[in-house]
Amino acid sequence: MVQDVLKKFHEAAVSPRAQMDKYMSEGKKVVLTAPVYTPEELIHSMGFVPMGAWGADIELNRSKEYFPAFLCSIVQSILELGINGAYKGASAIVIPSLCDTLKTLGENWKYAVDDIKFIPMTYPQNRKPAYGIAFTKAGYERVIRDLEALGGKYDPAALAESIKVYNAHNAVMRRVDEVLAGHPEITAAERSDIFRSAFFMTKEEHTALVEEFLDELAKTEASGEKLGIVVSGILTDAPQLNKIFDEFGMHIVADDVAAQSRQYRTDVPEGDDPLEALAVKFAEMDNCSVLYNVKKPRVQWIVDTAKARNAKGVVVVMTKFCDPEEFDYVMIKKACEKADLPLALVEVDRQMVHFEQVRTNLETFRDMLSM
Amino acid sequence: MAEEVKKPEEVKKPRKPLDPNSAKYKLGKIASDAFATAIEAKKEGRPVAWVSSNFPVEIPETLGLATAYPENQAAGIAARGAGERMCEVAEADGYSNDICAYARISLAYAKLKECPEQDVAMPDVLLCCNNICNCMIKWYENLSQELGIPMIMLDIPFNPDYEVSDAEVAYVSGQFWDAVHQLEDLFGLKWDDDKFEKVTGFSCRASRAWLEATAQAKYTPSPFNGFDLLNHMAVMVTARGKEEAGEAMETLLKEYKENHEKGESTFRVEEKHRIMFEGIACWPYLRATSRGLKDRGINMVTTIYADAFGFDYNSFEEMIKAYCSVPNAINLEKSRDKRVKLCKDNNVEGLLVHTNRSCKLWSGFMAEMSRQIGKECNIPVTSFDGDQADPRNFSEAQYDTRVQGLCEIMESNKEAKEA
Repeated sequence: MVQDVLKKFHEAAVSPRAQMDKYMSEGKKVVLTAPVYTPEELIHSMGFVPMGAWGADIELNRSKEYFPAFLCSIVQSILELGINGAYKGASAIVIPSLCDTLKTLGENWKYAVDDIKFIPMTYPQNRKPAYGIAFTKAGYERVIRDLEALGGKYDPAALAESIKVYNAHNAVMRRVDEVLAGHPEITAAERSDIFRSAFFMTKEEHTALVEEFLDELAKTEASGEKLGIVVSGILTDAPQLNKIFDEFGMHIVADDVAAQSRQYRTDVPEGDDPLEALAVKFAEMDNCSVLYNVKKPRVQWIVDTAKARNAKGVVVVMTKFCDPEEFDYVMIKKACEKADLPLALVEVDRQMVHFEQVRTNLETFRDMLSM
Repeated sequence: MAEEVKKPEEVKKPRKPLDPNSAKYKLGKIASDAFATAIEAKKEGRPVAWVSSNFPVEIPETLGLATAYPENQAAGIAARGAGERMCEVAEADGYSNDICAYARISLAYAKLKECPEQDVAMPDVLLCCNNICNCMIKWYENLSQELGIPMIMLDIPFNPDYEVSDAEVAYVSGQFWDAVHQLEDLFGLKWDDDKFEKVTGFSCRASRAWLEATAQAKYTPSPFNGFDLLNHMAVMVTARGKEEAGEAMETLLKEYKENHEKGESTFRVEEKHRIMFEGIACWPYLRATSRGLKDRGINMVTTIYADAFGFDYNSFEEMIKAYCSVPNAINLEKSRDKRVKLCKDNNVEGLLVHTNRSCKLWSGFMAEMSRQIGKECNIPVTSFDGDQADPRNFSEAQYDTRVQGLCEIMESNKEAKEA
């Protein structure tokens, strides 16, 4: 039954600590992976369970000793969780320096959380030329050295196997995104659970569960009349946000969300040297606010995808104080206006308790789309 | 980051003519010529580049490309009181007021193409380097889109390690030559090794003199008011690769040495306390922030911000490493150690930290780092909220209270020491 599988996604999505305890009780070591991209394939191949660390909707206390208030709440809440022991038992956290706030997270982590090792991952922005690929590879080699110090073992053959596991997961996540576009009866909250749970399960398990879900869904008839929308942003897993989408009959037909589909767009290509191939994957990644591209193809990607999926409009879910997204927003807004595609902007953060402004904005947007 | 301008009152008040042989005259002329030269080049049909402050100036200077520095321009606009007006233009287009105010001012200028408080030549190409922040990338991407001109990106990532790795040197070196070749192709320019050698010589000469001049604060009292550095720094940002910059900086050094010998200083009141200032200046409130210190006899004798623009090196690899080691590209430990050295070399008694709303990177680990600096140097640390260019994010009352608190602790420490 579809609902049975959805329940499993939900349980994993809301219980990261339980998932972590489960893996540790099986004798596995957990490595946390911070936003936005980390070499999970590599971590997996060295015998660790990578678990997404995208913060939580919690009150900030101790993290205020390190961060000023005007920094992204996702990052602040990651540090808060680190300090308050929510990640206790994890062997390390891999933090890339893809935005300015992430750079400061790593530096603060070293002093705020002494029992979980900080492993930096330095990606190049000029990632496509040969010198960029070489630098990405050097970054991976540094991660390898740090993971080896924690008992991991690097083996190219194991990495090649992990790459297959991750490519398979990418494929199934792209497939579920596509299939869900034709199933308005699957709610925004359920869709969010499917994506969010991927951070807290091994990719082998998650792939199997998504495949089971797709099999079950294929046995059902799509139903419901809803307003198709494309959602764009860093993170859209707040239960209250998804509840509002569902309440107003909005159907997410595609996403440009960093914590969702952006993770799965690019596969590792085949190659004799799996580490090199992993670096090539990063070179080929694009359409993201933290990946430099002067042509900003992401903007047109949103417009084209919205049209291809027959979306009525685009909702940009802005995580407060995220300047990479704030810069891109202006370009997205212009492109949508040019394409005659309605656009709404709602601001969210990890500490938000009252969603009334979001509700009002989306209600107005719903009314506009329904006219 | 970057830039340094004349204080608003210096623009408005009639002043007695400066001695053309003085450092102040020479440095002021170089700074103002930087804007005028690019405007002239544009009129003559020569290409102009907008350049981020810590981009290797050796590239445009060797190629003979006219340059303008948006950060320098934004600071000038903010200091002359137009920061809020320009920010609002960008905000009306959808830019969040959380975004760096320099970026908002610059994007507003790209739209309006004029601002009486500081005009610049419009660019034909953008030279971006993110060794100061990744915000720079997004800002320049949008400029490129809005203006329909090419952008050359020289990526210098934040270094989580203490030393610059061989991998980073190779990566940045590859980009350096790529940038050169792209500019040659775009504008029919030709790289000249002899000229490059000359330019690096000029840059190092200016840097050495600048760093030595700022180091004269080792004397008590300091032969200069630290706020002077914020003005003179403009030359290091915009013209460090020019011959005249070295000459002017050497004049500045000579004057500071003479001041010390004569027991004089450009800090015109008794120097009761010496502090390090952390962060970019609050350009819209330069006068208020300066007065708040001066009225209490506090001299801001040193700031990492000034030294950030001194690049001294002996080889190509050292040059690349220098650009990889600017203040916002290095880890907490290296950042801390550089500041601890400044505090100790210059007998600093307190640290005043500007928590700058515009700069997430600079402010993001400042709390932990300043705690460590305070402990290592045994000095009090105080912070205040402000902004480099948006006047809406600063409260004079808060600043005054915080500075007063810092002053009281420094006084008490001094009394205890003397007792």
